[in-house]
Amino acid sequence: MRLGSVIGRVTLSQTIPQLKGARWLVVSPHNREHFQSGAEPLNTITEEPSLVVYDNLGGGVGDTIGFVEGREAASPFDPPIPIDAINAALVDETFYTPKEDA
Amino acid sequence: MQLARVEGSMIATRKHPSLNGWRMLICQPLDAEGKAEGTPIIAIDPYGAGMHQKVIVSSDGLTARKFVGDDLSPVRQIIIAIVDETTEEQAA
Repeated sequence: MRLGSVIGRVTLSQTIPQLKGARWLVVSPHNREHFQSGAEPLNTITEEPSLVVYDNLGGGVGDTIGFVEGREAASPFDPPIPIDAINAALVDETFYTPKEDA
Repeated sequence: MQLARVEGSMIATRKHPSLNGWRMLICQPLDAEGKAEGTPIIAIDPYGAGMHQKVIVSSDGLTARKFVGDDLSPVRQIIIAIVDETTEEQAA
């Protein structure tokens, strides 16, 4: 699971049947500099490539979410639907104390 | 599987129900010399790894789903071992 800031939403007009009525978030993934301690969502656009994430937890723009990529993203669906990124957690708070390398 | 170092934890009340009750730790992948490299990832932790401890993180969802006990869970990274020490053999 990686963390990222929700920077937008996507509405699909033409889609394959399995993806009808789904909710999609545009997420900007965090990298090492963006990890911090606190409950305040970072709400920033990073230089990592953004991606579209399937969401059924109700993530809004500005939230920090934990999303899972790969085949595991399609695990909650039986039969699996063709997605490879899903919102698995709405982050309330992170505690981050990096250890500086010698 | 990745060698990583625990550098924090995360709290999320609103999440996939299969993750309820699981500790979610921020793990920083390490390179061969043990220096931080790449983006921290969130892994669930069944063994109670402490802060700044070296762990091995598996990104195989099947293992994680078996641990979580829910075949419909989107969980992926899981800590499968806490490292005591790493020794480096010089290539002959």
